[in-house]
Amino acid sequence: MSGKLKGKLGNVVCHLYLIILSVIAAFPLLWVLLCSVKSSGDLTSNPTSILPKEFTLGHFKNVIDTLGFTRNIGNSLIIAFFTTVIAIAISSLAAYGIVRFFPKFGNIMSRALVTTYMFPPILLAIPYTLVMAKLGLTNTRVGLVIVYLSFSVPYAVWMLIGFFKTVPIGIEEAARVDGANKMVTFVRIVLPLVAPGIVATAIYTFINAWNEFLYSLILINSTELMTVSVALRSLQGAEILDWGSMMAASTLVVIPSVVFFMFIQKYIAGGMTEGSVK
Amino acid sequence: MKTKKIDYGRWLLVLPALIVVGTLLVYPIFSSLYYSLTTKHLIKATYDFIGFDNYIKVLTDPDFFKAFLTSILWTVASLLGQIVVGFTAALALNRVNHLKGVYRILMIIPWAFPSIVIALAWKWILNGVSGFLPNLLYEMGVASELPQFLSDSSLVFGTLIFINIWFGAPMIMVNVLSALQTIPQDQYEAAQIDGASKLQQFMYITVPHIKVVVGLLVVLRTIWVFNNFDIIYLITGGGPANATTTVPIYAYNMGWGTKLLGRSSAVTVLLLAFLLIVCFIYFKIIGKWEKEDK
Repeated sequence: MSGKLKGKLGNVVCHLYLIILSVIAAFPLLWVLLCSVKSSGDLTSNPTSILPKEFTLGHFKNVIDTLGFTRNIGNSLIIAFFTTVIAIAISSLAAYGIVRFFPKFGNIMSRALVTTYMFPPILLAIPYTLVMAKLGLTNTRVGLVIVYLSFSVPYAVWMLIGFFKTVPIGIEEAARVDGANKMVTFVRIVLPLVAPGIVATAIYTFINAWNEFLYSLILINSTELMTVSVALRSLQGAEILDWGSMMAASTLVVIPSVVFFMFIQKYIAGGMTEGSVK
Repeated sequence: MKTKKIDYGRWLLVLPALIVVGTLLVYPIFSSLYYSLTTKHLIKATYDFIGFDNYIKVLTDPDFFKAFLTSILWTVASLLGQIVVGFTAALALNRVNHLKGVYRILMIIPWAFPSIVIALAWKWILNGVSGFLPNLLYEMGVASELPQFLSDSSLVFGTLIFINIWFGAPMIMVNVLSALQTIPQDQYEAAQIDGASKLQQFMYITVPHIKVVVGLLVVLRTIWVFNNFDIIYLITGGGPANATTTVPIYAYNMGWGTKLLGRSSAVTVLLLAFLLIVCFIYFKIIGKWEKEDK
């Protein structure tokens, strides 16, 4: 009896705790969204009222028409897209190779990949600046895509190893007995099986490239080529802080990240530690 | 003949990735090591070789030590908070039967936030004039005047750590949760029959099962938090009065503020060396745990 009561009480406590955490976790997103449609007067005179007194899309208009934020969105889309395509092509080959053809050496390779996670981005930023200047790639989208491969490839290989490991070797052997060569086996048999994993990894790569800030800050200095992160930061440097516009621009940047992340969050679970544990 | 062909093919698969790692990760390390021994400047074309001069200058700079201490404090406090919140959230989520999916979705939102939006959202929520939280605390009578979370030097560091916990706890939660779900339920049932208390079950079934995963997570998060530049740079820029300057920000100011890239390289090499030592110790401990398991 008391045990049951205790269990119930425990459940209530758990729910309460989870509700509090959920509110704290979700509040900034909610607040950004709400404030992006509040009028400037409302923003400053009613700081604690949750809902907008009047609904306005003026900030979005300002961000897109006056500040030309769509150009920055375009830059980030292009950079994130090419980073993702190149990184996934390189990484799925490597992950498959490591899982299937390097039974002993593979573990060392994946360990070495984790080690690269230790390299401080601020350390890498210095040689990147110098090399990109030498190659004439400073202030170009190409330069940024190349630099973004430095964190997206190791991470994608790491995640994909976990997915490729789930493909039973028996299937591949059967296909090969039937006369399919290695390439055909990989493309027709293995890829479709890990497709969800590849899509999840691709989306995660895309989000990380879209969200990146430091390299973009260091390598891009013209307003036209700025990515969303850096453009958004430059709004902060404006003489009159226009929080409504900053919230509208933030909405445009954060919504794609959050929405895409929701689709893949199930796949990401455990992905970080899986590559090494087993 | 045939085995040779296969050998060649398998290297072809990993070659592009090896090239990326070689040119974008290994080469820059050596390049930084080299520049750390020179007077390399961000703009000036020429530079001289000066041996360990940069390292001596950095290691005798009290500001560097202050930044180093700030980094340690920032990492330890953020990580402890992330682990406590992430772990307890995972345990709670593992226990409840209803609304699991809703809580989970809501709680992982921060994970997807770009650092610039983390910065802007929190700067606006905590704004000292029109921010939601300072005004709420004032209206509720908790604070007698609007608290200045980001410019009051006694509040700013704690505020940054709170924001970092907000951002990092979901990652811990999700990974711990997926580790918890791999524990066979019958072990708990057997323990219950044997009369083991909840605490004993936790200590002797839960902890051993997830120790290694949590250990690895701690390693990865330590590295990430210690290296993190964006959050602090975008929220406080290292201020007020260097109160929140960590080593990455110190290195950035040295390289792009004072334009002394050589000396900045020395700072980042020291940063990497420190992380290597910390990770070496971590991996020793985790390796021991893994052996115990087997």
